[in-house]
Amino acid sequence: MDKKKTERMAKPKRKAGNPYINYIVFGLIMLMLPILVEKEVIKYSYLTIVAGILIYSIVSLGLNFLIGYSGLVSLGTAGFMGLGAYLSAYLTINLKLPFEISLIISVAIPMVLGILTGLVSLRIEGYYLAIATLVISEILRKAFGEFTAVTNGFSGKSAGFPKLLNGKVLDRNSTYILIVVVLVIVIMITHNLINSYTGRALSTMRGSEAAAQAMGINIYRYRLLAFAVAVAFAALAGVLYVHFIKFSHPNTWTLLLSLNILAVIIIGGVRSIPGTILGAFIVFGIPDLVLKNLPVIGKIDGIPYIFTGVLIIVVILFYPAGLIHIWFNLKRAIFSLRKKGGNDSE
Amino acid sequence: MNSKMLESKENIENIDDDVVLRLDDLSISFGGLKAVDSLTFDIKEKEIFGLIGPNGAGKTTAFNCITQFYKPDRGSVYFRTNKGEVENLVGKKPHEIIKKGLVRTFQNVELIKELTVLQNVLVGSHIEFKASLLSQILRLPKARKEEIRLRKKAEEVLEYMGLHTIKDQLVAGQPYGVLKKIELARTLMCNPRLIILDEPAAGLNDSETFALIRIVRGIRDRYNCSILLVEHDMRFVTDLCDRICAISFGKLIFVGTPQEIQANEQVQVAYLGKGDE
Ligand SMILES: Nc1ncnc2c1ncn2[C@@H]1O[C@H](COP(=O)(O)OP(=O)(O)OP(=O)(O)O)[C@@H](O)[C@H]1O
Ligand SMILES: [Mg+2]
Repeated sequence: MDKKKTERMAKPKRKAGNPYINYIVFGLIMLMLPILVEKEVIKYSYLTIVAGILIYSIVSLGLNFLIGYSGLVSLGTAGFMGLGAYLSAYLTINLKLPFEISLIISVAIPMVLGILTGLVSLRIEGYYLAIATLVISEILRKAFGEFTAVTNGFSGKSAGFPKLLNGKVLDRNSTYILIVVVLVIVIMITHNLINSYTGRALSTMRGSEAAAQAMGINIYRYRLLAFAVAVAFAALAGVLYVHFIKFSHPNTWTLLLSLNILAVIIIGGVRSIPGTILGAFIVFGIPDLVLKNLPVIGKIDGIPYIFTGVLIIVVILFYPAGLIHIWFNLKRAIFSLRKKGGNDSE
Repeated sequence: MNSKMLESKENIENIDDDVVLRLDDLSISFGGLKAVDSLTFDIKEKEIFGLIGPNGAGKTTAFNCITQFYKPDRGSVYFRTNKGEVENLVGKKPHEIIKKGLVRTFQNVELIKELTVLQNVLVGSHIEFKASLLSQILRLPKARKEEIRLRKKAEEVLEYMGLHTIKDQLVAGQPYGVLKKIELARTLMCNPRLIILDEPAAGLNDSETFALIRIVRGIRDRYNCSILLVEHDMRFVTDLCDRICAISFGKLIFVGTPQEIQANEQVQVAYLGKGDE
């Protein structure tokens, strides 16, 4: 009896212990990949696919923060990601700026634009806001095609692996490591934000504007903040993208990409960090890593879109909170089974 | 404009030191309907003040005008802020009101379902949090200490309200009476000078209502604040309140002690008498 009591007391403590451990372990596992490629356990091209997944995880975390916490919807994600990519390609190739400086500028400029978009959100809501963000994104995409001096138009813009301040140039593997490290940092930032009073203020604003105002939460301020964070993550992901893939084309940054990122959140789980990562692996991983290798299905044209579309419907019908909750439920089931087992033996 | 400002200043100077809130000619109408009509009354320091009236009398609308959720068409809301100075709240933004020391609950419970009871109560101290965004993102000691300090305060408030056993449960699925209590707990986090409660006893049974009377009195003594409340349960109001104001169709009928209210004929006709029909 006593033992059980102490056990129960100890549990929440362990839970509160260190939330970062899970994220760091995830990062370490991801860091094994280049080694496995070198040992030829995994195909060379898989590293590119996984890097893509990790980059899209970063954008998705930003959008999940925006949608899940502030309750605002954006369909402009791809535009801001593309803007970050083009800016960094231009700054490093044409202006020969080192990667670090280029990164800061290429995140800051879209962020300002994101805040301006946020200002739009103060006036309009719901579908109208979604359409407004879509318009901004489409204008950006047009600009990527037209401003050939900066973007090289429809020939596409090339970029190199990151060239650092100290003159060192990263290679494919070290750029991949950089992506993993940035993702883990972004996860931690998101974790801290949603667990701070800012996170609670955003949740309150989404749940009840009246309560938010009565408690002194400045709704304008927090909407702008949510937009700034989402856009900053998107631009950051764009920068990483262009220096890993080493190429950016206007047709990459379409509504389709924005919708795929939205699908990541719906399928993985709104308001969940592990859910977002899971969603990114499903939406951006399964088509390339699994479906393409299947005998008949792999040959069907547009199979990734069919897959994502069907999955969204299934998830909304059966797991409206996202697939990550299958895992949570499983964990709870195992836990309660174990507890029952313990009781029986007593 | 200038003369109006002067007049307002004069009005402020006329307010006695022990007055926390003065409504002066407060009016608002929706279309042709005068929801609040020339409402004027004072609430004193440490007073528990009841606002009563039949359904649709304009009680909630009056609360919304005081807290600036609605912009009154006419009149003033003078409030003695935490700094001890009297200010007219009319024209301020709704989110600025709590910083002055005025906090409210809602008739239709405005809590966040996805947050725990403790987290909901912590939202009540939003204005007490000072850590910058950067120190929140990096979880610097300043942000951590502040979070721990206010979390402790929230736990004390929950303990006082008898809600500490459910502090880590989600708000979703809690019974209505508990929700009302959580909302009341949330108002205690901001060092208020005046708490406005819209039907705090709704959803409580007789013994819980009785217990609430003691809780509200305790809050007044512990937090040294005044309380303005709307409640339909007449026994609750007459037992608890120092003074009561009865309104009907947005208009003030009578202000007085519970005994005076019960003895007043107009109030009987407009409100209390309704039960006899
Ligand atoms: N935003 C609004 N727009 C139009 N009419 C409103 C609005 N808010 C309140 N009213 C009207 O004003 C009148 C007073 O409503 P109010 O909610 O203040 O009544 P109440 O005294 O709180 O009633 P109850 O005891 O039922 O809560 C009602 O006729 C209501 O329909
Ligand atoms: Mg009401």
